[in-house]
Amino acid sequence: MRMIKRLERSPTLILAVITAGFIIFGYSTSILKITDFIIFCIYVLGYDLLYGHMGRLSFGHMLYLGAGAYGTALCAKYLSSNVFLAILCGILFGAAIGGILGPILIRTKGACFALLNLAFNQVGHFLVLVPLAKITGGEDGISLHFTGYRFLDFSNIHQLFFLSLISLILVAFLIIKFTHSPYGILLKGIKENETRVNFLGYNTYRYKLITFVLSTTIAAFAGALTTLNYNYANPSFIDPHRSVEVIFATLMGGAGSVLGAVIGGAAFMTISNYLPRYILRWEMFLGLALLIIAFKFRKGIWGYIREI
Amino acid sequence: MADTILLAKGVTKRFDGLTAVHNVTYEVKAGETAGIIGPNGAGKSTFFNLLTGFFIPDEGQIFYLGEEITRTPSYERVNRGIVRTFQLVSVFDTMTVLENMMLSRIRQGRDYRSKRRFFFKSVYHPDLVDECLQALDTLGIADKADIKTSDLSYGEKRELEIVIALSLNPKVLLLDEPFAGLSPIEIGHISRVVQQLSGKFAILIVEHKISKLVELVERLCVLNEGTLVCSGTPGKVICDPQVRECYWGKEETA
Ligand SMILES: Nc1ncnc2c1ncn2[C@@H]1O[C@H](COP(=O)(O)OP(=O)(O)O)[C@@H](O)[C@H]1O
Ligand SMILES: [Mg+2]
Repeated sequence: MRMIKRLERSPTLILAVITAGFIIFGYSTSILKITDFIIFCIYVLGYDLLYGHMGRLSFGHMLYLGAGAYGTALCAKYLSSNVFLAILCGILFGAAIGGILGPILIRTKGACFALLNLAFNQVGHFLVLVPLAKITGGEDGISLHFTGYRFLDFSNIHQLFFLSLISLILVAFLIIKFTHSPYGILLKGIKENETRVNFLGYNTYRYKLITFVLSTTIAAFAGALTTLNYNYANPSFIDPHRSVEVIFATLMGGAGSVLGAVIGGAAFMTISNYLPRYILRWEMFLGLALLIIAFKFRKGIWGYIREI
Repeated sequence: MADTILLAKGVTKRFDGLTAVHNVTYEVKAGETAGIIGPNGAGKSTFFNLLTGFFIPDEGQIFYLGEEITRTPSYERVNRGIVRTFQLVSVFDTMTVLENMMLSRIRQGRDYRSKRRFFFKSVYHPDLVDECLQALDTLGIADKADIKTSDLSYGEKRELEIVIALSLNPKVLLLDEPFAGLSPIEIGHISRVVQQLSGKFAILIVEHKISKLVELVERLCVLNEGTLVCSGTPGKVICDPQVRECYWGKEETA
């Protein structure tokens, strides 16, 4: 118990545990698969900033992951073969979409916010599939081949694994910094009672927008890495039906903490990757798991561990 | 003659069909301690909400230090010095007492204007912690700094809310029923605090019970069914037959 308290207090320790955990996990199972896990965890971290820290539930976060994925793919296909430029392009595209939709979305909350996000996600999915099919490849998506850059070659699975891991650590580090800063306390305040924060003299709209865009940017980062990992981008990367995955992972791990998000992300990916091998209709077990969490482990796996 | 600091000019607020505040003209002078009383549902809180920007009036205007602020957002009004507390104590239960305090101090501290410090530096800066503890100590709750706010008693929460309000450098402080739900001892405590603050800046207190206000305020007004009925020194207002009828008549049938 004291160990858990110590772990929580020390950012370095948290990051070290995450790094070590994934390296062990990766090299004892399959690097290729665990790279996918790590990328998903980045996505969960971004989502948790919005949901866990600021209390805004979104049903359409795949839009921003998709924006990152397609931004990267389109840049690589039409603009430049430089991998880093492509990633940057994806991230900026996600940030831009967040910056454009944010001012509309962030005025709403609760069910309205959640469903508006879903609506925009559906629009995005449709745009990729039909009207923009000439550019995005429609149903088939875009296949790519990323060339190396000096000694860096991300078609090498080990290199991509470590690129993803470093990215995850970077994002986790940022979020830990945020949560201990004045901004972190402000987010806590907005989550509990936004009006009251207003009456302390803060323009909450501004901070909500910043948080939203940060969250979409991180999701887009995960999207960019996904494209790199699969060497293609296709409509499943922006599919609104998959928006539930990240919510599930956040709840499973425990909302509002970096370790919770990473544990949730890894746990969800483990279930969805390994369970189908043994059980055909594995989604039913996902549903069962959710029920158990909702009734027994309100604060998720990490929330449960830290309270024993 | 003292200057007017806050002025409401013929403000009206309706909630579909119900007129909660009707054509109220009211001013607060710099440095005075004024009170508004009225029965439940008279529109006192609604009037506060108009002054602080939580609602925008359907008619009328609001001026602060001579400038119109009728549509100014509430956070902007707070930054200019219009600070309020809430009828139902409003502090952040999920935070510790110290964090509550920090959240309000940070806004005022010049050091935190820098983005780097706001987003990336730990909030537990020794200077800030000291400053917050000192502020908490003024109402004698510094020893509770590390306690979750949800574990405080209602009276302590009210004290915390007042410390927070004071840390926002008010020029005019609006207290919405600060004594509601408190024990007699706690009421005495808060009363003394208000007395000490009297004169430092303008204070406007809204209350349901007249007795608590009599010795606190210099000027008293009565709000009934959204209209101002009577105004003057507390002694005069208590004796006014119109007030007795609309206020006492309903509330306390002697
Ligand atoms: N947000 C609101 N929506 C609808 N009606 C309201 C709202 N706020 C207050 N009212 C109504 O306005 C009237 C005045 O309420 P209020 O200002 O809270 O009175 P007081 O604070 O004097 O007890 C009441 O009849 C109340 O029901
Ligand atoms: Mg009221």
